[in-house]
Amino acid sequence: MKVRVNDVELDLPPGTSAIDAVFAAGGDVPYFCSQEYMSPIGACRMCLAQVGAPRKEKDGSWVMDEATGQPKIFWFPNLMATCTTQVMDGMVIDTLSERVKTAQNGMVEFTLINHPLDCPVCDKGGACELQDRSYEFGDGISRFEFDKRHNEKHHPLSDLITLDRERCIQCKRCVRYFEEVPGDEVLDFIERSAHTYIGTADEGLPSNFTGNIADICPVGALLDASSRFRGRNWEYDHTRTTSMDDATGAAIIVDARTGRIERIKAALNPDVNKTWIDDGTRFGHEYVDSPDRLTTPLVRRQGKLEPATWDEATAFIAERLKGLSGKDVGIAIRADATLEEGVAAMSLAEELGTGQLDHAPRPAASLIGNQTATLTDLATADAILVVGDVTEEAGILDLRIKDALKGVTPPTLMPHGVPIADLRLKERMPRKREILAVAAPYRVELMRHAGTAMRYPAGGEAAFFRALGKLAADANATLDEAGQAAVGMPTDQARALVARLGAAKQAVVVLGGFALTRREAAEAARALIKAVGAKELAVGPMANSYGLELLGVLPSHERYGYAGMLDGSKALILSHLDPAQDGEVAERLRGKDLLVVHDIFMTETAHLADVVLPAASVYERDGTVVNLEGRFLPVRAAPVDAGSSADLTGVVRALGEAMGKRLDGRSVRSARRTLKKRFDVDFTELPDHGLLPRTKSRGPAKAVAGEAPSATGNVLVVPSMARAEYLNRNRHLAAALGGNRLRVHPEDAAKHNLAGGAEVRLRVGGTWRQAVVQVTDAVPRGLMTIPSLPEQPIGLAQADLTSIVVEQVRLEVAS
Amino acid sequence: MNETKTHTPFFADKQEKLAEILSRYPAEGRRSALMPLLWEVQRAERHVSEERVHELAEIVGTTATEVKGVMSFYSTYHEQPVGTFHIQVCSTLSCALAGSDELFDFLSNELGIVNGETTADGRFSLQKVECVGSCGTAPVVQVNDTYYERVGRGRCRHLIDALRQGEMPPVWRERGGDTVGAAKAEPLQKPTDRGEG
Amino acid sequence: MSDQTATAAKPAPILSRHDPRYEVTMYRYVGVDGAHTLDFYRSHGGYEAAKKALTSMTPAQVIDEVKASGLRGRGGAGFPTGVKWSFMAPPDGKPRYLVCNADESEPGSFKDRYILEDDPHQLVEGMIIGAYAMQMTYGFLYVRGEYYLGATRMEAAIQEARAAGLLGKNILGTDFSFDITVHRGAGAYICGEETALMNSLEGLRANPRLKPPFPAAAGMYGRPTTINNVTSLTSAVHILTKGAAWFSSMGTDDSKGTKLYQISGPVKRTGVFEMPMGATFRELIYDFAGGPTMEPKAFIPGGSSTPMFPWEDRFLDMPMDYGTLAKNGSMLGTGGVIVIPRDKCIVDALYNLVRFYAHESCGKCTPCREGVGHWLPRMYQKLVSGLGRPEDIELLESVASNIKGNAFCPLADACIGPVQASLKWFRDEYEYLAANGKSKYAKNDWWQA
Repeated sequence: MKVRVNDVELDLPPGTSAIDAVFAAGGDVPYFCSQEYMSPIGACRMCLAQVGAPRKEKDGSWVMDEATGQPKIFWFPNLMATCTTQVMDGMVIDTLSERVKTAQNGMVEFTLINHPLDCPVCDKGGACELQDRSYEFGDGISRFEFDKRHNEKHHPLSDLITLDRERCIQCKRCVRYFEEVPGDEVLDFIERSAHTYIGTADEGLPSNFTGNIADICPVGALLDASSRFRGRNWEYDHTRTTSMDDATGAAIIVDARTGRIERIKAALNPDVNKTWIDDGTRFGHEYVDSPDRLTTPLVRRQGKLEPATWDEATAFIAERLKGLSGKDVGIAIRADATLEEGVAAMSLAEELGTGQLDHAPRPAASLIGNQTATLTDLATADAILVVGDVTEEAGILDLRIKDALKGVTPPTLMPHGVPIADLRLKERMPRKREILAVAAPYRVELMRHAGTAMRYPAGGEAAFFRALGKLAADANATLDEAGQAAVGMPTDQARALVARLGAAKQAVVVLGGFALTRREAAEAARALIKAVGAKELAVGPMANSYGLELLGVLPSHERYGYAGMLDGSKALILSHLDPAQDGEVAERLRGKDLLVVHDIFMTETAHLADVVLPAASVYERDGTVVNLEGRFLPVRAAPVDAGSSADLTGVVRALGEAMGKRLDGRSVRSARRTLKKRFDVDFTELPDHGLLPRTKSRGPAKAVAGEAPSATGNVLVVPSMARAEYLNRNRHLAAALGGNRLRVHPEDAAKHNLAGGAEVRLRVGGTWRQAVVQVTDAVPRGLMTIPSLPEQPIGLAQADLTSIVVEQVRLEVAS
Repeated sequence: MNETKTHTPFFADKQEKLAEILSRYPAEGRRSALMPLLWEVQRAERHVSEERVHELAEIVGTTATEVKGVMSFYSTYHEQPVGTFHIQVCSTLSCALAGSDELFDFLSNELGIVNGETTADGRFSLQKVECVGSCGTAPVVQVNDTYYERVGRGRCRHLIDALRQGEMPPVWRERGGDTVGAAKAEPLQKPTDRGEG
Repeated sequence: MSDQTATAAKPAPILSRHDPRYEVTMYRYVGVDGAHTLDFYRSHGGYEAAKKALTSMTPAQVIDEVKASGLRGRGGAGFPTGVKWSFMAPPDGKPRYLVCNADESEPGSFKDRYILEDDPHQLVEGMIIGAYAMQMTYGFLYVRGEYYLGATRMEAAIQEARAAGLLGKNILGTDFSFDITVHRGAGAYICGEETALMNSLEGLRANPRLKPPFPAAAGMYGRPTTINNVTSLTSAVHILTKGAAWFSSMGTDDSKGTKLYQISGPVKRTGVFEMPMGATFRELIYDFAGGPTMEPKAFIPGGSSTPMFPWEDRFLDMPMDYGTLAKNGSMLGTGGVIVIPRDKCIVDALYNLVRFYAHESCGKCTPCREGVGHWLPRMYQKLVSGLGRPEDIELLESVASNIKGNAFCPLADACIGPVQASLKWFRDEYEYLAANGKSKYAKNDWWQA
């Protein structure tokens, strides 16, 4: 459609909004209520412009302007909000006339009459849309001489979000966000007219995606409580990077100041997270600045760990290694190491000649399927089966599934980026719940949005997929009682589900961690996926699980895997792993000839180590990760002051030097040379949005099964958005979540005399865990759940229920 | 942190009424029942408490926040209990031209409470409201759900005395306007200040 | 010559209630004891129009009849009712809704209330006719929350009608089925705006919705919906009974039929008067309402949102129709005339109205929330308190013009129109007040015995 904006002629697709026409033409109008990826509502009235269009005669020809010989432009009598105006062929948009300027200035004036203008003390100052737009489009003076509306200044909407009600300009972005994006309607306008304010009656904003409202607030009304009063926007170093909190690889911006991370914000990646991140990603960084971070190497001398230089520490290791056979050394890295670190680990293993190399946690089944879906496939799917709790495992999946429920395809990017006003999006759109089926051993958040919700017995993933597979193979088959119990629903419903997956144009099966913990479950799942012609998304346990498997940071034989090497190796080099939390494992570690721990805190294992090397946290590395779609994403180090800590490439460089070798992977640059040979990708030039190789995913270098958890148990170790191992160092997040939760069915709570809110210790498997009891019927009778540690892969575990120690009973008001 | 309830739900013993209200709307419009449910609770309890907000949210399938947002939007739902006699005085132009401001001040003096307050004994609450559609029979005083129209000084005295006795006086029919039609014979003259219907 | 021929061929339109051909229809039984019962209504010819429509006319014929009558929406905007009805897409077996807007909240308007209370079956019949014409599957009657008696009477009437086979499945033995739910509002003027009303009916905050989509395409629950005012629907009853020609024999070129006008303020006989469209304000005010009881200076022609006129012959003699008022810079609105006496300071009167709109703004858009909801009432408060300065009047004008036409829905303009009209006609009162700190006219007590 031909559209003219001021003097610029454009050809735009039908359905484009007038505001996007203005921006596409290089023009500008202010706006506060419109927001990328959300419905345009025309509320702030800032984007007013004079709009006109030609008209057609009855015979279809244009009504002509006799003076010019051109189609006559009929101007709308009122100025139009361009965000809610759709372009028409021949439309003319004027954003520069006096009338428009007067109106814009008027709207700025109205917006400011009740806004405090406390910019000098406001966290948003310097990065505030209202401040910028008032400067650009306002008169600079206010004619309002009365008292401004007064309201609460520091209202804690939750432990994570603080609201200043005076600064709010009622743009409704946050209210719409909750309804439109996560679908948790926990924030709304209260009262009306000039008294309108935002508030909640649902204590603490129960949603896993609350922090995004701080990003989209155009003023300083909604602030991330963890970063409030920590710095001014111009003081921050902004590092655009990729989140290492889960397997989706959301784009984030890490804002650091004087060597500390002060906050994390969402960044745009249209193919991955759009502009949203979950609360675990946003608020889960406080541990990095914990005062007990390791900042210098430690070496054990006369039984005591003492500070040392890197040279001393690596010389010590090299010396010890000389006395050992290389093949007796085990090397294990956590599954959120970068590809570059993976190269370093592989190169060290190769140098030592050991096959005892692994990354952990690593599920029993391979993550690399034959038909891996992209997140866009997921967001545009017309049938989705989710097995597991993806909201906690990889929150972005939850949001992209909700995109699919709306049935609106991702917008085409405009010259100025994501459309500001996508007119296909509406408030309170009907959701196609029927396309979503969610199965888990307990009630999960996503079930509220699903047309079909199933609870199958914990650990029964294989039986679940086999039963569905049976129906996929034979539509007339029936499920016996055991089969129906395995899928948690009657045959006809299960049949309908399989039929929907089979009939869909684009079906996606999301395999959460539970489905990957056992090979037979994953095999049954993949058989079903093949039978119904779906694509799969396998959710790896950590940020680079897919990449490290793809790269081949794997043992030469199953028995040389992580669990095996804890037992069988004579020496261990562990990066970010803490197996000594399990008392029995700790005993075995004491017997090692050499134990090197590369970590950021003095973990249980570090206490046993001969050498402790200070590690770079996930925010302090340069490198590359591969998300669950197989997308290569860049990771960039934020300027955090962490003493002499280094990532694994630094360890390998220092150790290599001590050994007199120049190992591959001794630096990020060196590792990338290796990676380029391996993947034919230049990792130094990786775009922000990442790179999804067009070629079909290669199979893993070596297919080696990971370790499966126990097949029975009374506690289910479950994924958690907040990383359990750091939760006690993440003050705000811990407050919001009430700590690591041991969720107990009411009947079990009564049986074991556990009160809600009680702080307890219990042994899960070999590991003592601390948790806070939550009594809820979301979990089945006879099964408790507890968030996983990296050392405790998700799945069933046996807890000694007689071991539960109630440490403190907090008084809690029943909610 | 216990997800257990501590109060008796309002509709626990009113399932039939609840079902009837829900049946007024199509299945796709379950949330439409929210306003009638709010009315139902308010008529019985003279306000809608926080517990009820949560209960209604569960009934219509939304969050307490949404219910609060809706409830607070409308001016006639109350978060705090109003008096046994909730006296609402229209203050918009036609009523103002008939003396509603003076009427309000009179009631305020009589009852010893200001706009929005409830007497200590909980019997009376007083509220200035906007146009209630009785402009032709102004000024109007709405007591709970009942309109008392053309409330001159005499009628106002009569009304407040009766309410003090705990009685709602019978309404006096006022229509004014057209006299065409069978059995209509309100004379064209100033209304007399009768105290009875 | 040709003029005479035309006159001879076609009788002159009825433009006055004094015309002997004029007959009161809609308001005939309002105020009559017992008129709200089905027995009364049926014994006075009730439900014959619905019967005629359902048993002897096609839906299209009903719409054509209403189109031919020239009926325009009685809620205020005056959109031709028959045309509105014809916007509905053909039935597709899915739900489609008729909504009757009885959220009568415009200050100065009270016509619908009396129909609801005293003649509810007339409205039920009107809804049946409208529903049949558009083949609606279900009806909602949105009654403002304060009209408790009206809502109760309507519910009773609907039950009576249902019991008599006039609502529900297979009405009057035909294969047309339709039923009505009464939905009570709870005190929000904005619900008179049709999209806000739909939100309210859906149990949401009553903010107006974006248009498009228009209700006929996606209204209640996303289904095709038509929203009509009470007296648009009751007019249809009489159009079917007496014919489109009868209806269009009354009124001016652009405004046909009979309409309920309301009058309040200091006149002898306030209330509702049914008159042919095109009758003059003078006829209403002097002949039927008995004339002012105090010296008048202005009148609001059609509810508080319509810009006022000074008490001058040229305005009093205007016919009360859509076109004339629009031409003179105002609107017919709901036809609720408010007479303003000389002794009411115009600034004070406007403060009263501005306060009303401030209270009723929904808060969705900036100019209405901040301008109407906050700034304007403060400026008026300052003026009426005697603290204003002459330059405040210019500021007031400037702020008003910044709001006008820039808000999301018509509520803000409904406030600004009257403000601007008062400044146009009675600027002297503003100036006097700003210059002297007290009003030019001041009466202390308006309360009568």
